[in-house]
Amino acid sequence: MPLPVTDVPATQRLALDCRTLLDHRVGKGVCGCCGALRPRYKRLVDNIFPEDPEDGLVKANMEKLTFYALSAPEKLDRIGAYLSERLSRDVARHRYGYVCIAMEALDQLLMACHCQSINLFVESFLKMVRKLLESDKPNLQILGTNSFVKFANIEEDTPSYHRSYDFFVSRFSEMCHSNYEDPDIRTKIRMAGIKGLQGVVRKTVNDELQANIWDPQHMDKIVPSLLFNLQSGERTESRSPSPLQASDKEKESPVELTERCFRELLGRAAYGNIKNAVTPVLMHLDNHSLWEGKTFAVRCFKIIMYSIQSKVGFNLTCPHPQSQHSHLVIQQLLGHLDANSKSSATVRAGIVEVLLEAAAIAASGSVGPTVLEVFNTLLRQLRLSVDYELTGSYDGSTNIGTKIIKAHEERQLQEAVIRTIGSFANTLPTYQRSEVMLFIMGKIPVPGVHLTLPSTGSGPEGTRMIQVMLLKSVVQVTAGFQTTNMLTALPSSFLEPLLSFSLTEDPEIRLLVLQILLSLIDRHDNRPKFSKICIISDISVLKLKVDKCSRQDNLFMKKHGQHLYRHIYLGCKEESSGPQHYETLFALLGLLSVELANEEVVVDLIRLALALQDLALSTDEPLPMYNRCAVHALAAAYLNLICQLTTVPAFCQHIHEVIELRQKETPYLLPEDVFIENPKLPSSVDKVEGGVLFLQSKITEVLGGSGYNTERLATPYVPQYTDEDRLSKRKSIGETISLQVEVESRNSPEKEERTPAEEITFETLKNAIVDSVGMEEQERERRRQVVEKFQKAPFEEIAAHCGARATQLQSKLNQIFEITIRPPPSPSGTISSGYGQSQSRSVPIYEMKFPDLCVY
Amino acid sequence: MARVRMSMEDYDYLFKIVLIGNAGVGKTCLVRRFTQGLFPPGQGATIGVDFMIKTVEIKGEKVKIWDTAGQERFRSITQSYYRSANALILTYDITCEDSFRCLPEWLREIEQYANNQVVTILVGNKIDLAEKREVHRQRAEDFADSQSMLYLETSAKESDNVEKLFLDLACELIREAKQNKLDNNDNDRPMPGEGKTISYLNCCSLT
Repeated sequence: MPLPVTDVPATQRLALDCRTLLDHRVGKGVCGCCGALRPRYKRLVDNIFPEDPEDGLVKANMEKLTFYALSAPEKLDRIGAYLSERLSRDVARHRYGYVCIAMEALDQLLMACHCQSINLFVESFLKMVRKLLESDKPNLQILGTNSFVKFANIEEDTPSYHRSYDFFVSRFSEMCHSNYEDPDIRTKIRMAGIKGLQGVVRKTVNDELQANIWDPQHMDKIVPSLLFNLQSGERTESRSPSPLQASDKEKESPVELTERCFRELLGRAAYGNIKNAVTPVLMHLDNHSLWEGKTFAVRCFKIIMYSIQSKVGFNLTCPHPQSQHSHLVIQQLLGHLDANSKSSATVRAGIVEVLLEAAAIAASGSVGPTVLEVFNTLLRQLRLSVDYELTGSYDGSTNIGTKIIKAHEERQLQEAVIRTIGSFANTLPTYQRSEVMLFIMGKIPVPGVHLTLPSTGSGPEGTRMIQVMLLKSVVQVTAGFQTTNMLTALPSSFLEPLLSFSLTEDPEIRLLVLQILLSLIDRHDNRPKFSKICIISDISVLKLKVDKCSRQDNLFMKKHGQHLYRHIYLGCKEESSGPQHYETLFALLGLLSVELANEEVVVDLIRLALALQDLALSTDEPLPMYNRCAVHALAAAYLNLICQLTTVPAFCQHIHEVIELRQKETPYLLPEDVFIENPKLPSSVDKVEGGVLFLQSKITEVLGGSGYNTERLATPYVPQYTDEDRLSKRKSIGETISLQVEVESRNSPEKEERTPAEEITFETLKNAIVDSVGMEEQERERRRQVVEKFQKAPFEEIAAHCGARATQLQSKLNQIFEITIRPPPSPSGTISSGYGQSQSRSVPIYEMKFPDLCVY
Repeated sequence: MARVRMSMEDYDYLFKIVLIGNAGVGKTCLVRRFTQGLFPPGQGATIGVDFMIKTVEIKGEKVKIWDTAGQERFRSITQSYYRSANALILTYDITCEDSFRCLPEWLREIEQYANNQVVTILVGNKIDLAEKREVHRQRAEDFADSQSMLYLETSAKESDNVEKLFLDLACELIREAKQNKLDNNDNDRPMPGEGKTISYLNCCSLT
């Protein structure tokens, strides 16, 4: 058919071109007769098609066409148009063999022509791909996709203004959801869809002129389609790892492909786009209720976190460090958690679980600039959950009010939130951690003092639960916390409220406080070594790590040491303390001696241990038998430890003697016999005396020889009541009212180190009222005598008397507790100053707790 | 002429039509009846979205039909298809009161996600099951009127009104497209019907 016009001179070629031009304009009916005038490109194109489509592309002719296209790039668009036209026709006529050939030719041309003129050619090319995708034959769809993928991998240097990929996004997303009957073909179509999406992303992501692929309208299609395949693949995989699947292992499975594509997508996301990419994920997980199952949601976010992480690897010039990216993801998750406040506990627990995993992956500091906001959200969720659990309903909810709240699910959620708080905290640097600790501490409601969180009517039980939850959170935050400077890491504003909790009646809260203290003080991982309370004959087996106590540590102990001792002492005194309490108290004592002890602290600690022994012996205290023995055991275990730490042989010897004697005579005073499941306890400890007790005088003597401060040692330790008692709540709310009355003592202000304070319980107030009638009588009589004395006695006598009292005060300086209350109505001012009164006076009111010297 | 056009696959207008409505009201069946002329008895639930195409012989119009899943869990992906639609076919099942009651909810979705020039038509499907009818025709018409939608009752099984549905819709879309072209020729607002004539001559290569 074609004329032998292989070498057409330029003029002639022009003429031919003109004819082609005419071809477009003029008749469609003049076929056949002008075959000889057919333009060269058309003939070349025609020649690549064989007679029989089975034969495949005519290779030699294809080379000619390629050569022609390369030498005359301006013709490329026409070649493309013509090819596409032929292809459309073949599709319509179901001549699929030729369709494949046309596509192959197009691919080859595309690959061969990496030049500017590709732009126009691409139009025709995309038209053809679209044509193939529009057909309902799976083979053609896959063929079209493959070509598109090849095209997507070509990097074009000139952006295109009028190219639109909208259809491709829609169609490929649809293919990802393919519902084809035959499972094999269905998988193929779905995989084609995924590859196509990957192609679109590659093609558009760097092209500034393209419609932004990160727009929600595209992301909302792409992301759910990928997730759908990720999820459905998971389902089938877990069901049957059939031999068939195993055999074509070398081929990538749809799930793997999807995951790779998803990773690539996220890896390309810039800071501003992360949000659009993550939002559809959240929506998808919501819609398909995938939070409950957790595993898939966790997997998705693991992929997300790792993919955006990897970004930094090849993009060092990125203005935003990648941690900003992960921070963004975490913020979105937090926002989603807030939005789901009223969803069922399992959903919230799922989100929290995902947060936990995400936070673990995120590099340190990724929680970002709004650290406290993160913790605030989590604490709010904790609070909400407690409220839900107690009230049994999501109050204020409109249409899900009928849902039954399952307490155990809420519990699980609370646990998850607490773990997440810990996980977040672990990514933070030390200074931020103490900030967070302080923040959480500020949120803990201290009944009667200040309510930071608005009470939602769940009552004292709710308050208690919140306290427990928040303290557990603090435990999480402090786990593994190590600071070089205790003073800055643990400011009084943190330590004081914390310690005030150690005085509550609630044993659980006390235990939590002790655990927090342990992790704060432990900086050399010594804590596990004190996990069991026992007598260790040689402490070198513990391999304790001891550093020299720094200046800051000394300062810290100087400032807070007394508080700590006091809380240990009072903690031992609590009836509700169980074996766990004594074990943690032992660990606390041990850690204090290892981590923070200088000579002075050691002395104080020994005094404390001896005071504990006195406490256990004291008949004034209504302690149960178990606690008495436990305190004895604790003191023994601790003295055994400290004597070996001081390495004073005589000290060690004394301790060992006592312990040995106890082993023989009173084993119930040793930890090994007390801290077991059913300890055998005696009915009374009256016969505990003599050799089984540690002697203060003996210890003072032996330590004095080694240069310890004997004067201090000889003074028995007495816990000091301080201002902070006001914060503490010894009796639980509702039972008693805790008041404090403080009036500065008038005659000895300069001698008092601390503000005198006294706690008055409901009981004492009641007593005061009952006794007040008789007391008033006495009081009047006494006053009369005092006035008389002052009026009649000579001045010298009064002066001498006062002087004597003053020296007496001086000597007792350390133990004095000044207890003063306002005198009953209409007191006479002159009497209330300058004269010491008999101690018996105050007995009914003050219950004689202290060696009090009441100076009126 | 028609044959030439067929062979060249050119068209004057291209419309995207999206079907929406509750699960199981017969969206997929309507589409398959129209594009393939069959009624699949055991049609399963659509996953996500489905795509079909048909060229209608009114001025060479090409209709791309996106059929969506009715299930709630696919809502997010189906919603993303509304935006580019020229027309929405809102379908309910006349034998299912529930599917009718959900219509306001669907309309809200349309308002939220779809282009505001979208043509919406209300379709009550399954009129072959007249004896089980739960939604009275008058009620549906009143509802359609109040929302200024067209209303049609169809049966994908008996092929009642299915052709009419798509052809009516096509006419309406063409009418609107022309009007838009006249009104906003200089406006670069996206127009329904992105189609354009392609007139490359090619006759010789046939046969």
